[in-house]
Amino acid sequence: MNNLESLQFFIPELFLTAGLLVTIIVELLLKKEQKVFTAYLAATVLLITIFFLIRQYAIEPAALFGGMVVIDPMAVFFKILTAVSTLIIVFFSIPSFRVKAEYYVLLLATTLGMMLMAQVNDLLMIILAMELVGLVSYVLAGYRRSDPKSGEASLKYILFGAASTGIMAFGFSYIYGLTGQTNLFEIQQALQSTQHNPVILFVAFVLIIAGLGYKIAMVPFHFWLPDVYEGAPTPVTAFFSVGPKAAGMAVLIRFIISIVAGVSADGQTFTANAPIHAQELLAVLAVLTMTLGNLSALQQKNIKRMMAYSSIAHAGYMLMALAVFTSQSVEAVMFYLVVYMFMNFGAFWVIHRMTPHLGSEEITAYTGLGYRAPLVAVAMGVFMFSLTGLPPLAGFIGKFYLFAAVIKAEWYILAVLGVLNSVVSLYYYAYVTKVMFLNRGDDESAVSISSYDTALLLVFLIPTLVLGVYWVPVISWATQSLHFFLG
Amino acid sequence: MITQALIIWLLPLLAFTIQIFVGKRLPRKGDWVSVSAIGISFMLSIMLMIQMFMAYDPEFAVTAAMPWIETGNFAIPLGIRLDNLAIIMLMVVTTVSFLVHVYSMGYMAGDQYYNRFFAYLSLFSFSMLGLVLWDNLFGIYMMWELVGICSYLLIGFYFTKDSAANAGKKAFITNRIGDFGFLIGLLIVFTTIGSFNFSAIHEGVSSGLLSGGLLTAAGVLLFAGAVGKSAQFPLHVWLPDAMEGPTPVSALIHAATMVAAGVYLMARLSFMLSFDAMLVVAYIGGFTAIFAATIAITQNDIKRVLAYSTVSQLGYMIMALGVGSYMAGFFHLVTHAMFKAGLFLGSGSVIHAMHHSMHKLHLHEDPNDLRLMGGFKSKMPVTYATFLIFTLALSGIPFFSGFLSKDAILGGTLAFAMSQHNPIHFLLPVFGFTAAMITAFYMFRLVIRTFYGKPVRPEIYEHIHESPKQMTVPLMVLAALSIFIVYTLPSFNPTGAAGGWFDHLIQHPHSAVSAQLGHDVLHIDHETEHLAHISGIIISILVAGLGILLAFFIYYWKKADHTRIAQSIRPLYLLSFNKYYFDEIYQATFVRGLLAWNDLLNWFDAKIIDGIVNLSATVTRVFSAVSGLFDLHIVDGLVNGLANVTSLFGNGLRKIQTGQVQNYILGALLGTVLIIIISLI
Amino acid sequence: MASFYIALLFLAVGFLLVGLTVLFSRLLHPRINYPEKNLTYECGIIPEGESWIKFNSRFYVIALIFLIFDVEILFLFPWAVVFEELGLLAFVEMFIFIVILLVGLAYVWVKGDLDWIKPRPELAHLPKEKGK
Repeated sequence: MNNLESLQFFIPELFLTAGLLVTIIVELLLKKEQKVFTAYLAATVLLITIFFLIRQYAIEPAALFGGMVVIDPMAVFFKILTAVSTLIIVFFSIPSFRVKAEYYVLLLATTLGMMLMAQVNDLLMIILAMELVGLVSYVLAGYRRSDPKSGEASLKYILFGAASTGIMAFGFSYIYGLTGQTNLFEIQQALQSTQHNPVILFVAFVLIIAGLGYKIAMVPFHFWLPDVYEGAPTPVTAFFSVGPKAAGMAVLIRFIISIVAGVSADGQTFTANAPIHAQELLAVLAVLTMTLGNLSALQQKNIKRMMAYSSIAHAGYMLMALAVFTSQSVEAVMFYLVVYMFMNFGAFWVIHRMTPHLGSEEITAYTGLGYRAPLVAVAMGVFMFSLTGLPPLAGFIGKFYLFAAVIKAEWYILAVLGVLNSVVSLYYYAYVTKVMFLNRGDDESAVSISSYDTALLLVFLIPTLVLGVYWVPVISWATQSLHFFLG
Repeated sequence: MITQALIIWLLPLLAFTIQIFVGKRLPRKGDWVSVSAIGISFMLSIMLMIQMFMAYDPEFAVTAAMPWIETGNFAIPLGIRLDNLAIIMLMVVTTVSFLVHVYSMGYMAGDQYYNRFFAYLSLFSFSMLGLVLWDNLFGIYMMWELVGICSYLLIGFYFTKDSAANAGKKAFITNRIGDFGFLIGLLIVFTTIGSFNFSAIHEGVSSGLLSGGLLTAAGVLLFAGAVGKSAQFPLHVWLPDAMEGPTPVSALIHAATMVAAGVYLMARLSFMLSFDAMLVVAYIGGFTAIFAATIAITQNDIKRVLAYSTVSQLGYMIMALGVGSYMAGFFHLVTHAMFKAGLFLGSGSVIHAMHHSMHKLHLHEDPNDLRLMGGFKSKMPVTYATFLIFTLALSGIPFFSGFLSKDAILGGTLAFAMSQHNPIHFLLPVFGFTAAMITAFYMFRLVIRTFYGKPVRPEIYEHIHESPKQMTVPLMVLAALSIFIVYTLPSFNPTGAAGGWFDHLIQHPHSAVSAQLGHDVLHIDHETEHLAHISGIIISILVAGLGILLAFFIYYWKKADHTRIAQSIRPLYLLSFNKYYFDEIYQATFVRGLLAWNDLLNWFDAKIIDGIVNLSATVTRVFSAVSGLFDLHIVDGLVNGLANVTSLFGNGLRKIQTGQVQNYILGALLGTVLIIIISLI
Repeated sequence: MASFYIALLFLAVGFLLVGLTVLFSRLLHPRINYPEKNLTYECGIIPEGESWIKFNSRFYVIALIFLIFDVEILFLFPWAVVFEELGLLAFVEMFIFIVILLVGLAYVWVKGDLDWIKPRPELAHLPKEKGK
C-alpha cells in the first residue's frame, strides 16, 4: 500500500503525534501552577487515541507504507495495551509530577514508539521504533534531576541500551547480508527458498535476541534493570515494567512468526523456518530468566528492587510460553500482559504512595501496615498473591494459561521448572504480606490516603479480582487478535 | 426479562460495594443506598411476577447463558434460569429482604457499625438472589458458600460478645460438614455427566449416564448440603445459636431465606432423586420436624423457641419433597417465609421494647426471656395483633396461609404412606401430625406468656412502648401476606390450595429417574390423593385445636401448674430443655475426638518424627566423626535443606549485580558469546 | 577479486607514503630544543592555566540545537532538487516536517535555551550575589 492510502490506517498514530505537538505548545503557554493541565491534556489525547484504536478492532491485516509497518489485530491488541498502560501511568504520575509538564510529552512520545513497535515489519523500522522508545526512556529514567541515583540509572540505561542496540543491529546486518532484504516477509521468503548456513543464521538470531532481550529483561541482558528500576522515579519504573516490555514482546512475537517460524494461513500452526534450535535456546533462556529473577528477589531488602527482580521473573514466565511457538502460547502471553499490567501497576502504586508515609522503600518499613492502612494493605496483599499466581486472582488465570500452553505442547520439564519457580516466588511475595499483617511495627499511627489514591487503587484492584473469576472477554479478545499479517 | 433479573441480582452488589467503601461517609451512613437497591429489586421482582402471571404457564422458563470458563474441552457457562420456581423465590427473597431492610432502619438505629450491617445485608441479598437465579450447580455452590459467609458475618455481628463470635464459628463449621458432602455430590455429577447445568443433568440422568447406587449417592450427598444449610438433624445445632445475631438477620437469613436455600436446592434437584434418596430425605425431614418441635416446648428464650420452630418447619418442607409433594414443600417455604419472618420481626419488636425498658431501669437481665414478659397486649397492640396472625398461620388454622401449605404437606405424606405397601411409612404422617400439635401448643404458649395475663414484672411493663413505624409497617405487610387468599386466587377456597395460582404454576417436574427406569417411581392415584387430602384436613384441624386448647388450659386458665408437670416428667423435661444434649454430645465426641487426634499427631510429631530426625542427625554426626572427612558445617548445611541453598544462590546472584555498568555490558556480551559457543558445540 | 588487489595496492601505497614522509622528516629535521619551542603556541601566545578545563554546558545545548536544524537543511536540499517531480504532496510533507521542527524551536526559545546568558533562576536557597 502506498503512503497516501496507508494514512487512513494510521489515524491513531497521526492523532497521537498531533496531540503530542499540541501538548508541547500548550505547555509553553501555561503558567507554572497551571502546568498540571498538561497531564489532563495528555490523558485526553491518549483516550482519543485509544478510541481510534478500538475502531481498528478485528481489522483486515495489511502492509502499510510500502511494507515498513503492518496493521493486523495483533498489532491493534498491543497498541491498545500500551496506550492504556500509558494512560494509567499519566494518572499514576499526576501526584508526583505536577509542574514538570514535559514529562507527559515524553510519555506520549514513548507511546508512539511502542505503538510502532507493535506493528513493525522491517529491520530498519525495528531499530527506529525501539530507539524512539529507548531514547525517551533514558530521559524518563533520569527525570528526577536532583537525585543522583536517578541520573546514574539513566546513564546506565543509555550505555546498556546503546550496546544492546549495537549488538542487535549487528545481527540485522547478518540477516541482510544473507538475504539482501530488510522487510521481514521478504526475508522469510528468502529463508524458505534457499538453504543458508545454519551457523551464521543462528549467530544472527542470538545477536538479535540479545537486542530484543534487553528490552524485555531476558537473562543475561537484564543487568541494567534492577539499577534502573530502583533509581528511576516510581511512576517511571511502573511504566517500564509494563509498556515497553509489552512492546518488546510484540516485536519478539512478530520476529518469531515471520523469521524464525512460519505461521499457517489460519494462524494456528507454527513451523520452524530454519534449523537453528531457536525454541530450545528460548526455553533455556526463559528458565534462566525466571530462576535468576526469583532467586535474586529472595534476597532483596528494598521493595522496588524486589519488584524489579520479580519483573525479570515474570518476563521469564512469558518467554517460557513463547518458546513453545504455538498459537495458545502467544494468546497466553497476550492475556498475561493484560493481567500483569493491573497487578504490577497496583503493587507499584502502593509502593509509590506509601513511601512518603513509611519514609523508606525497605520491605521492613511495611511492618504492621495492615493495621495502619487496612485497605491499602489488603490491596497490596491481593497484588502480591496475584503476582504469585494464587487463585482466585487474575494472576492465577494468567499463569494457568501460560502453563497450559507449555503443557499442551508437551514441554513438561519446562513447565515443571516454571511451577517450581512460582513456588519460590511465593516466599518473597508472601513475606511482604506477612510483615504487613502478622507483625506490628513501632509506629501504629493510621496512614490516611486521599480519595484520588483510593480511586486509582481500585482501578487496579478491581480488575485483579474480577479477572480472576471472569476473564472470558479478555481471553477471547486475545484469541481474536491472533490474526497476523502473513505477507 | 433476563436483563430485569440481572438488575435485580446486581443492584444489591452495587449497594454493597458503595457501602463497604464509602458508606461511613454518606449521609445517614448510607442506609438509603442498600434500602433503595433492594427496593428497586423488589419492584422489578413484582414486574417479573406480573409477567409470569401473564404467561400463566406451568412450563414457563427463560434461560440465558454466556461463556465464563472455557479451556479446551472444559466449559462452564454463566447462565441464569427464570422459571416459575425462580420468580416466586425471587419475590419471596426480595419481599422479605426489603421489609427487613426497612425494619432494620429502626431496629439498628444508633448502632456503631450501622453501615457495615447494611453492607452485609446487601451482600447477602446479592448472593441469595444469585443462588436463586443460577441455572447450574457450580454457580449455586459459589453463591451457597457466599450466603454462608454472610450468615457467618451477621451472626457474629456483635463480635465483641464471645457468644456471638462462637455462634458464628459454630454455624460456619457445621455448614462446612454439609457443604463437603455437597461438593462431593457436585463432583460426582460433573464427572459422570460432564456438566453442571440443570437441563444437562436432567438429560444425563434420563439417559442413564448417572444411575443406580451412584445416583442415590449423588442425591444423598447433595442433600447433605441442604441438611447443613437448612439445619436438619443432625446438623441442626447451629441454627438456635445463630440467634445471637441481630433479630432482623434472624428473620431474613435464619427464618425466611437462607435456611430455605436447602429446600430450594432440593426442589431444583427433585428430578434427579432416586427413590432411596427420597426416603432418606423424607425421614430426615420428618424426624427433624418432630424432634425440633419437642425442644421448642421448653425453651424460655423467645427467639430460641422460634429458632427451633424454624428447624421443625424446615423439616416439614424437606419431608414434603422427600415424599414427592413438590408443590407442597415449596408452598410451605413461601408461606413460612412470610409468617416466620413476621414472627421474628414481631419478637424483635418485643425485644426492642424490653431492651429499652430495661435500659431505662438499668436492669441487666435478658430481654429475650419469656419469663419476664406478660400482658404486653395492651401496650403493643400492633405487634400483638400481627403476632397472633402469624401464630395462627404457623399453627395451621384455616383461613391463614400456613393451613394451606401445612395441610398440603400432611395430605401428601398421608397419600405417600397409603400408596406404599410398607406400613412403616405411616411413621411419616404420624411425625407430621404430632409435630403439628406440638407446634400449635408451643406457639400459643409463647403468645400467652408474652401478651396475655398479668405482667410478671410490673416495673418493666411500665416502660414498654410500641415500636416505631419502620418496624410496625413491615409487620402489617407480612401479616397481610399470611392470609390464605393471597395464595388461592382466583379460587376462594380456604381449605386447600387446589385451583389457586400457586398450585397451577408450581407442578412437579418430570422425574429424570422415572424416565430412566421406564415407570414412575412415585405413583399415587387420584383417589388415594383425594382421600388423603380430606382426612389430612380433618386431622390437622383437630390436632391444631387440641394443641391450642392445651396451651390455654395450662398457661391461660392455669388449670395445671406447668412447673408441676415438668417436675413429674423431669427426665423428659430435662432432655428437651437441654436440646437432647446434642451440643454436649458433639463436644464430647467430635470436638474432643478431634482434639485427641490432634494431641496424638502432636505426640507422634514430637516423639517419633523428631526422634527419627535426631537419630539421623546423630548417625550423620557419628559417621562424619568416623570418616573424619565430613565436617559438621557441611552436614548441617545439608540438613538445613533447600531453603539455605536457595538463599545461598540468591546471595551469589546478588553479587553479580555489581553496580558497574561496564561489568553489565561485559556480562551481556559474554553471555551472547557464551550462548553462541555452547550451542555451536 | 581483481578489484580487491587494487584496493590492497592502494592501502599498501598509502601506508608506504605516510611511513616514508614521517621517516624523511625524522631524518632531515634539525634537533634544537629550547623552552619556547616546547610551548603550546610557538607563535608566542602564552597559554593560561590547564588545558583540562570545564566547558560551559551551554555549548552542548547550542551544539545540539544547531545539529537539529543542520539536519533539517540537509533534508531540504535533496527535496528541493526533486521538488518539481514530486509535486504538491511533497510540499505538504515537508511543510509538516518543518512545522514539527518549528515547535522544537519554539520550545527551546521559550525555555530560554537560545539566550546565552540565561536568567538566573530565583531559588530561595541560593544566596544573593554580592554587590547587586
